This record gives sequence, C-alpha cells and structure tokens, in this order.
Amino acid sequence: MKETIITSGRMNPGIDPVLHAWGWEIPIYLFLGGVVAGILFFSAFYFIRGKSEQYRTTVKIAPIFVPIMLAVGLLALFLDLTHKLYFWRLYTIIRWESPMSWGAWILMIVFPLSLIWVATFIKDIFPKWDWKLPLVEKVVDRFKGYQRWIAWGLLITSLILGMYTGILLSAFNARPFWNTAILGPLFLVSGLSTGTAFVMLISKSHEEKAKMGQIDLILIATEIFLIIHMFMGFLASTEVQIHAAHMFLGGSYTAVFWTFVFVLGLIVPFISEALELGGYNVPVAVPAALVLIGGLILRFIVVDAGQASRWLYKFVEQLQ
Amino acid sequence: MKEKKYWSPYVAGAGLGLTLLLTFVLMGRGLGASGALMRFDVWFLSLIAPDHVAANPYFAKYFESPLKNWLVFELIGVLIGGFLSGAIAGRLKVTIGKGPNISNRTRLIMAFGGGALMGFGARMARGCTSGLALTGGASLALAGWIFIFSVFAGAFALAYFVRKLWI
Repeated sequence: MKETIITSGRMNPGIDPVLHAWGWEIPIYLFLGGVVAGILFFSAFYFIRGKSEQYRTTVKIAPIFVPIMLAVGLLALFLDLTHKLYFWRLYTIIRWESPMSWGAWILMIVFPLSLIWVATFIKDIFPKWDWKLPLVEKVVDRFKGYQRWIAWGLLITSLILGMYTGILLSAFNARPFWNTAILGPLFLVSGLSTGTAFVMLISKSHEEKAKMGQIDLILIATEIFLIIHMFMGFLASTEVQIHAAHMFLGGSYTAVFWTFVFVLGLIVPFISEALELGGYNVPVAVPAALVLIGGLILRFIVVDAGQASRWLYKFVEQLQ
Repeated sequence: MKEKKYWSPYVAGAGLGLTLLLTFVLMGRGLGASGALMRFDVWFLSLIAPDHVAANPYFAKYFESPLKNWLVFELIGVLIGGFLSGAIAGRLKVTIGKGPNISNRTRLIMAFGGGALMGFGARMARGCTSGLALTGGASLALAGWIFIFSVFAGAFALAYFVRKLWI
C-alpha cells in the first residue's frame, strides 16, 4: 500500500500552494519606493557635484513629487496591514535581521528628510512661496545651512531604501522565487532607472534629458544583466529554484514577463535611448514611460510569482 | 535629422511575405490584426456586461484573457517595430497625414468612419487583410483569394467617390 501522511499546516489550501496574501498594495508600494529612491539619489548626487542649476529638474523639481509618492505608497502599505492599529509597534524595536524593521526605520528617516530637502528648495522653484508662519520660515532657513549634510544623508538612505524594496521579498526563504540575493540589487537598479525616467518625463532641458538618458542606458544594461543572472542562478540551484525559474521559462508568467518587462520595459527603451544618443530624434517621453510602466509590471509580476512559487510542488502535483 | 524616404513598396512587400513565412515557421500560424482587437473588445465588453458576452456565442468564442493570444503579442511587436523604424527614419512626430484640400477634422472623421467600417467588414468576412488575405492567401485558401479580389474590386469601384480626400 502506498500511503502519504503529511502533517502540516501547509496542506491547508488557504496557505499552500496558493498564498495570495499580497494583492496590488505591495507592488504599488515597492514601485513608488523604488522611484522615490531613484529621484532622491540623483537629486542628492548632482547637488553634491554642484550641478543644482545645470540639472535643475533632477535636483530641485523632481523631489517635490517625492513626499506625495511616499505618502501614497505608505497608504497602500497601511491598507495591506491586517492589524492596522498596531503598525506603531514596528517602531518600538530595531531588529537588524528583519528587512521590515529596516524598511520601517529607513522610511522614518527618508520621509522627513525628503520633506526638509524639498522645503529648502521650494522658494527657488516657486518664488512667490510664503511659509505664512515665521517660525517655519526660520527653521527652513536654518536647514539651508545644512543642505550638504542632508544631501549626503539622502544619498545613503535612498540607496538603502531602494535595496530594501527587494530584500523585503528575498528574505522570505519559503518562497523560492523570492529567495535570491539578486532581488535587492535588481530592485535598486530598477528603482534608480525609474527615477531617471521620471526626471526625463518632467524635465524641459535637453541637456538634462540627454544626461538622464545616458545614465538610464547603463542602468537598463545592468538590469538586463541582473535578470539574466537571476535566472542562471535559479537554474543552477536546487529543484525548487529550477521549478521557480520555469514559471518564467515556459510557465504561466513567460509571456507577460518577457514581453512587458523585458522587451517593452527594458529592450525597447534601451534601443530608443541609444538611438536618441546616436543623433536620431526619438521623443524621450516614450522610453521614459516604458521604463516606468515596465518597472511597475516587474514588481507586480515578482510579487505575484513569488507567492505562486513553492517548496512542496512535488506533493502538490501528485495530489492534483 | 532629415526624414528618410519610404522603402520601395516592392521591397517592403517581399519583406512582409518573408515575415509571414517566418511566423509560420516560428509560431506555426500566420499574421493577423483584427482578431487581436476583437479580443480586446470582447475583454473590455466583458468588464461591463459579462452576461451579454457569455450569452452571445460569437463573443463567447473570443472570450479569454487577451494575454493568452499570440495575435495580441504580435500586435505589440508591430507597434514596437513601427516605433523603431519611425525613429530610425526620422519620422517620429505627432501629425495627421492627409490630402492637401481637406481639414484635419474631415480627415479624422473619415479615418475613424473608414476604420469602423473596415473593422465591421473584417469581422463579417471573418478576417482582415492580414488574417484573411495574407495568411489565407499564402496557404492558398479559396476564401482568402476571394477576399483579396473583393477588396481590390471594392477599392477600385469606390476610389472615384472619395478621391477629393486625397487630391
């Protein structure tokens, strides 16, 4: 007699094989977190390089959108919480080994820092801006003296923020598709790339758009490299990882991933930006929009596919 | 950059033929266009009136996720190819191509009217110039050849009446 007895909570169909605990909220949040990291990184970078006027949109205008994006992203994150009223407990402890703790604290730093950063520039952008309260005026003026410090702070925290959006997923060792160290760098690079794309969309300076396009070319190339290595890593790993990779190499995610993320979100913008640099006239909004949409779809697919990838596939396939 | 000339229609036609051959080799089926739009239409309709789609046998036949169909991906490829070839030829700009003696408004109304008629006709004929004439013609389907001749006959017969739009 052949008998299989499995005593595990994971045989509960609500837990395994299909765990859909995360819907649209998390990918939206990860996407916005990535864009914010990209915008803040290049804003701080070019400020430190002393190019605030040359790359005005990058340094001063794009960060204005950051607090709004962060607020929307955090609202999405909040909506996802099951116990909404207990979110503050994240701030009662620092746990170095927990990505969520890293994320909660890094956001606690980035959000106010970005608000101060924007506040110190707001009169350059809107000359008629009035703070109304003399106290606020005074505080903002005081912060202006520390812009360089804030820039360095943003440069570092934005990198941690971008990296964390990927590590949040890769820390789940029960989900083979997420459990790869490449996810952190991949989401960071993708976040930086969407940040440059956002600047390209709103900038009016030709020089600035060309510079951002150049940077984006390198970032997209890096992203392609990371994606290919991610799949090579999966295929060279254990059976569960190979199984996870096959969801994208013939499985149900193949068409959407390779068409919308790889071709439309990376290859087409790469060729367009390369053509633009080569002297051809390509409206920069097209590659920029494609990069942004590709980045959004990448996060939706990775979050979804991670939840679908599993360890017990052999058992589950036998049972089906 | 100066705008380059269009390809010779003979070269482009041969290229299209080779593309068609390649899709048969690689995908096991030919080209299409209106079928992809049809799937999008049905999918969109199903968002608003799912019962109607399910009850209508013609719509129900096309009801599946648009992302499961090769024609939809082919159409995305067409957009990418068009965009890149426009970029390389220096032709990327927002413009309305029209004859010299009509207004933009007339051109747009006629274009949308003509497009709607063509879409309707393509569904009545169960295929368009790509899906029926090219793919059907290449596989020597009788319907494909009848369609090709009908399209040309119809075009020649009606061109006289709409010639003012272009000259």
